[in-house]
Amino acid sequence: MDILIYGATEIGYMVTLRLYQEHNITLIDDLERLPDKFNSLDISFMSGSGGDIDALEKANASQADIFIACSVLDEANIVACWTVKKIADIETICFVRTMELYRNLASPTWNRYETKYDIDTVIWPEQLLTQDIFRIISVPDAIDVEYFAGGRVKLFEYRIKENSLLLDKKIMDYGFPQDVLIVGITRENTLFIPDGSTVIELDDKVIFMGRSHALDSLAATIFQKGNTIKKAAIIGGGSVGSLLSENLEKAGIRVKLIEHDKNRCVFLADHLKKSLILHGDGTDLELLEGESIGDSDVIVCVTDNDEKNLLCSLLVKQLGSERIITRVGNDRNAELFERVGIDVVVSPRDSALKELLNRVQTREVDILALVEGGQGEILRLKVPEDFPDTRVMDLKFQAKAIIGVIKRRRRIIIPRGDTIIRAGDMLKIFTTSVDAELVKNLLVK
Amino acid sequence: MKIAHILNALGLILIAFGAIILTPIAVALIEHEYSSILPFVTASVFSVSLGFLFQKYGGFSRNFDDLKRNEGFLIVSLSWIVTAAVGAIPYLFYGLNPLDAYFESVSGITTTGATILTDFSLYPKDFFFWRSLSQWLGGMGIIVLFVAILPQFAVAGRQMFFAEAPGPVEEKITPRITHTAKALWLVYVILTAFEIVLLFIAGMPLYDAVCNALSTMAAGGFSPHPQSIMGYHNSIVTWIVTCFMFLAGSNFALQYRLLIQGKSDALVKSEEFRFYAFIVISASLVLSAVLFFGNRIGMLDSIRDSLFQIVSIITTAGFSSADFALWSVAAQTILFTVMLVGGCAGSAGGGIKVVRVLFGIKYLKREVSQIIHPQAVLPVKLDHKTVPDDTCRQILGFLLFYIVMMMGSALAVTVIEGDGAVGLVGTAATIGNIGPGFGEIGPMGSFGGLSIPTKMIFIVNMIVGRLELIPFLAMLHPDFWSIRK
Repeated sequence: MDILIYGATEIGYMVTLRLYQEHNITLIDDLERLPDKFNSLDISFMSGSGGDIDALEKANASQADIFIACSVLDEANIVACWTVKKIADIETICFVRTMELYRNLASPTWNRYETKYDIDTVIWPEQLLTQDIFRIISVPDAIDVEYFAGGRVKLFEYRIKENSLLLDKKIMDYGFPQDVLIVGITRENTLFIPDGSTVIELDDKVIFMGRSHALDSLAATIFQKGNTIKKAAIIGGGSVGSLLSENLEKAGIRVKLIEHDKNRCVFLADHLKKSLILHGDGTDLELLEGESIGDSDVIVCVTDNDEKNLLCSLLVKQLGSERIITRVGNDRNAELFERVGIDVVVSPRDSALKELLNRVQTREVDILALVEGGQGEILRLKVPEDFPDTRVMDLKFQAKAIIGVIKRRRRIIIPRGDTIIRAGDMLKIFTTSVDAELVKNLLVK
Repeated sequence: MKIAHILNALGLILIAFGAIILTPIAVALIEHEYSSILPFVTASVFSVSLGFLFQKYGGFSRNFDDLKRNEGFLIVSLSWIVTAAVGAIPYLFYGLNPLDAYFESVSGITTTGATILTDFSLYPKDFFFWRSLSQWLGGMGIIVLFVAILPQFAVAGRQMFFAEAPGPVEEKITPRITHTAKALWLVYVILTAFEIVLLFIAGMPLYDAVCNALSTMAAGGFSPHPQSIMGYHNSIVTWIVTCFMFLAGSNFALQYRLLIQGKSDALVKSEEFRFYAFIVISASLVLSAVLFFGNRIGMLDSIRDSLFQIVSIITTAGFSSADFALWSVAAQTILFTVMLVGGCAGSAGGGIKVVRVLFGIKYLKREVSQIIHPQAVLPVKLDHKTVPDDTCRQILGFLLFYIVMMMGSALAVTVIEGDGAVGLVGTAATIGNIGPGFGEIGPMGSFGGLSIPTKMIFIVNMIVGRLELIPFLAMLHPDFWSIRK
């Protein structure tokens, strides 16, 4: 694939590093400012600005498949994406750094304003980070969580531990709630599609798919015994801190947020409905003890300073907190953080990169998500118009695959053996990447 | 402060008011009460000539665009005092002494509804029509009226508009103040007309329907019937009046959004309105229980009367569907409690205003949380928006001043009258623009028997209460009176 990247920034470097071996990458930026590390990569350079139509033409934008704008200036990124759209209708991915611009371009509540030059994907790393942290908090033991159909359908991946109710049981023997399916199991690093007689073993990673609320109740009964989160503490009230508390509030979790800047505190108290905003320093032991931060079920350190995050995390660990999630800006620090005993280390760049790679790899539109490092795929298939009504159990799969969800207009159906598939349905099929091609041809005769 | 500005503005207002005061003549002609024409013509002539005199001294300038804050306050305060005086002139012709006439007029225009009349049969229909009309004019605010109708106040209007109704938040429904004033009056007129029609259909004579509707929408409380709404012995009328009083006590700007702009959730979304409805419903329930069990009044009657009375008192209308002066002390205490609350900001009602009470409660709650979390940042929010610090201070100051004023007036009246109930309840009823109190000054009683100093204190209470203290308080500062050229 031909990929055009605008912006020789840190994130630009990370993207390039991950993609340059498989794709042809052209980087546009001011070459005089080009960091040295780019020179060791096998890519081509083009001097100029992303907003300059001439430069884009020279970089052969019309032949590119994807355009990624990740320069230091949000507005420049947006203009670059628009400019590219003038040349050719290729997929654009734009990085932004502020909530206002993200909302303007990507939020679902504002998408009634459509313009000719819409950007296909807008990535705001901090928002993705917030999402990641929220997933980790709301489904504490899950290894992976994916959302489909606007959040109405979810995918959870769980590791089976020694005390699990599912251990050594056949799938068909355990009374799973309706609307939940086990679509895959990873055993010793290989993914396979189970059937009713598969026995679940210790250390299996089981992938569930189903309706959101059904999965939530499953998670609550099987995986989260006495482990529900009721109180959370957030240190650092930047955009991640405030977005996260907003989400947690909606989930009914009580939030205490510590922020050192008085004006920011006032702003947060103004915008958040229920969270308790505390003005003070996250490293102030007296404050942490006085507000009994150590009793929170989860503590999230998301200041913009790595050293401070580390110090806060260690302090609250001293106070007896069980779960600590810490943000790290510099990826080289991440390993160190984990080594000194911080449970979960997250980084906005990682979150952004994950999303971006997902985008690039699933560009063949039919792949909704990749799981287990690409071993499993969720495919989206539309049932052709001339397809006769067929029961799921009568479908002749040559490959191993499970239909996870059927979307019929606005309805979401979690199929069972006797569910009928009709023409025009949208199927979400879980399969291994090896069999993906076979499955795709299944319905197309 | 520029004397010329004030004289000019007052002159304009007086001339316009002189024209308005001719309206009762129409009633006089319809009802063939030709003797009633003279009082209103006299008042009009007096008003217009005084207006011209003021303008002459002011140099006939039409330019108020650089009106200062204190000038705005003074114009507003003086307008109320002077128009009340003009409005008192017709009463003089019916045998009232000047102080009583002024009391009645102030009580009318400030929508208080406290009366000094004892025998209603002595006066013609025109007399009662003017009482109700004066309430209706004062209900939306004299200044709002003139900002709406006089183009000269297009720019200066803003200053005067908010000086007259210094609610906690400046609320404009349209970008231009004259349009806002017109919009408010539009809602007001529509609701009044609607109520007249409903009352007429419910069987009230047209004349009574008009008078009662005018006083209801103004949250005034003057009724041409000596026994107020109770006198009509018609429970449908009671329900209609209850509903319209309830509307009169809620924010007209929001009702404009609802009625004219079609935003269906405008009222329900307002935290103040929800709290207002909550107080009305909960207080009525308690009161009807007290009446039902304590006073042995029938179930339906007790519900109807308690709802009517709570709405009437909280919106500061002061109508009565039953003689609540005869109710038990428990019932009267509930009424006294809601007396202190008053209507919503931007309504025709007076009193402390629901929004300030709501703020007070939230503020106390905040202070309690702050004790437990000393470092927490806890803003006081109304409608999900943080109340700015200076507004907080202003509201708290208002509450404090209100209490101080009430205490001062209550103590003085108690000493003069030798009656604590008249002192406290009378003060609450006049400063909150409610009208009747309990006992001697109850709904079937009259303020006429009070001594001259008491009446004067109550007159001040009514005007200060109607202007929500702030213009009055500003006048107490010496710098207010600094005169510029």
